[in-house]
Amino acid sequence: MRPFVPVARKVNLIIVISLVVGIGGVIAYFAFSQNRSLTETTELNLTQQSDILHQSIKNAMLPGEAPIAVQLFTDVRLTNPAYEIVLYRSDGVEAFTDNATIEAVNGLFGYTAFEPKEVFPESRAVMTGDEYFRRAVDGRRNQLFQQSVDGKSFFTIYKPLLNLPKCSGCHGSSHTVRGVISIASDITPVVRQQRSNLAIAGVFFIAVVLVLTLLLSLYLQRILVRPVKHIGAVCEGVTRGDFDRRVAVRSRDEIGALGDTVNEMVQGLYERFQLSKFVSSSTLQSIRNREKGARTEMVLFFSDIRSFTSFSEAADPETVVDSLNRVLNVQTKIIHGNGGDVDKYVGDEIVAVFSGRKMEEQACLTALEIQNQISRNPDQYHGLQVGIGINRGEVILGMVGSEERADYTVIGDPVNTASRLCGAARPGMILVSENVFAAVEDRVRAKGPARIRVKGKEGAVNVYQLLALRRRPA
Amino acid sequence: MRPADGRPRRTGAAGALALGLTGLLTGLVVSLGGCRKEEAGPLLPGEYRSWDRTTDQVLDYPIPGHEDRGRRILINSTGTGAAASSESHRVSWEYPAGTIIIKEIFAGQEVREAEQPLMLTGMVKDPDHPQARGGWVWVVRDMTTGGEQIIDWEFCVDCHANANEPHPYGDRNEDNEFRDYVFFPYRPR
Repeated sequence: MRPFVPVARKVNLIIVISLVVGIGGVIAYFAFSQNRSLTETTELNLTQQSDILHQSIKNAMLPGEAPIAVQLFTDVRLTNPAYEIVLYRSDGVEAFTDNATIEAVNGLFGYTAFEPKEVFPESRAVMTGDEYFRRAVDGRRNQLFQQSVDGKSFFTIYKPLLNLPKCSGCHGSSHTVRGVISIASDITPVVRQQRSNLAIAGVFFIAVVLVLTLLLSLYLQRILVRPVKHIGAVCEGVTRGDFDRRVAVRSRDEIGALGDTVNEMVQGLYERFQLSKFVSSSTLQSIRNREKGARTEMVLFFSDIRSFTSFSEAADPETVVDSLNRVLNVQTKIIHGNGGDVDKYVGDEIVAVFSGRKMEEQACLTALEIQNQISRNPDQYHGLQVGIGINRGEVILGMVGSEERADYTVIGDPVNTASRLCGAARPGMILVSENVFAAVEDRVRAKGPARIRVKGKEGAVNVYQLLALRRRPA
Repeated sequence: MRPADGRPRRTGAAGALALGLTGLLTGLVVSLGGCRKEEAGPLLPGEYRSWDRTTDQVLDYPIPGHEDRGRRILINSTGTGAAASSESHRVSWEYPAGTIIIKEIFAGQEVREAEQPLMLTGMVKDPDHPQARGGWVWVVRDMTTGGEQIIDWEFCVDCHANANEPHPYGDRNEDNEFRDYVFFPYRPR
């Protein structure tokens, strides 16, 4: 069985996922875009600067003015300490730090075109195995990369200096790349700015998601979760028999409409519940089963208060109703207690039915209990007494009446016989038909048979008067 | 179930979902917008050997970029119609769009007539091409794989810019003509 997951948790989960995906996507996109632009701008600037320097060096070198190029590097370094500019030969050694190039050029000319130097600045060389340098020389194209040195970040561009046709006059045509210009720019502030951008975006993202999650969650709690819980509580109350609570949702939306529907449903259930008190169990059962009518074997139980008309004329109305209800109430309880079903009340008369394997015994026990209860407490019932008639037979069970008002009741000759037996019974007496007696003979003491005439029957019928329960042998 | 007054439903979850979808869609649109169209077909045609040669000179001497490999240069018929004009006493040549100049690069220094080249380097005149440098698209084709690569960085154009001033090759351009980046311009024989 799948575990119960509260709708509030599901809603909150949807909100959080939506916000994280939506806002996170947008913020991440803009944060990374901003950083990318910053990187690209820095790269572009560096590339443009390297282009300018490249042209300057090229133009200074063509007339053989290497000292001008060297001075240019020195001046740029002094002007902007964030730049580190170095010209390397293609073998990785810094240019102008020895006489190798001068000697090669003079060798090509066959005479001393350029005087060798005696004083050199400190020589630097690219790191052994510098892959970017090798790619710049072999691939003959710019290499732009980022690296960290001593906690600082640098953008470095390696720009190959080609051995152009106009260079080959001095340097020969045996090689394509003369050297590599290296320009390293300290971009530590840019990297710091990028990290700061990401941190701010992250904090902003978390704050927005938290605030929106809280607000949306509260809003959804108010408009959705709380009303649904309230409706659930009302429905739960109905299952316990509490029809007093109503859904107090007044929103003009689906939840409000649902609340109204539930309220109408509870009201309808309440009315049906109240009405069910006035309807027999068999009636309710037949309504549930949508039964139209059926023949069935049943025991018919009739009980009528004797001399009630004269009593009602003598007593005040409150006493009459109170006494009647007491007598009917005690009988009803005993009938239900023995598995019977009150079919209807007709004035001071009760019509009940018993069905099942021991229906005769249950009906007889019921009658004996009723007579016993009433005779032992005459004051409680204002001296009223009942006469009871019991018969068994096949009856028709069905909905009888009109479309507007109907009763689910029993009809048939056995019903009439039972009614006649009841009519014949004197106060405190129980008369049962022969077939009922035959079924309970070993359980009761009885007198009879006596023969009485029953309306609707041609001959007299045998009846028995129940006296008491027979004691069971020890 | 719709409300009786027909108002649209508004829930936080729907709003959040809409926001999320907007973010995703934005990312998608941006990603798609960043895609570039692929090149359509090779720039250098396969049937070029019937074209005219730009020079009868044997190109077997070493030059930067091609070292000491033998070379042969051909030009298509569009390129043979290059026109010259004169501005401020300087002759300026301009090749029409559609001109293709192919330089065959051979394995050895000596070039035999039926020998297949190792690679082709080409200049395609297309000033509107996004990767054009100096009005030309600079292309290298590896004849082993057949793959073409556009050289959109300085390497080719930097060297060929020397053709627009006096240089050490061919007729050396001693008159300082603007040669439109071509060292050996086609001249009708």
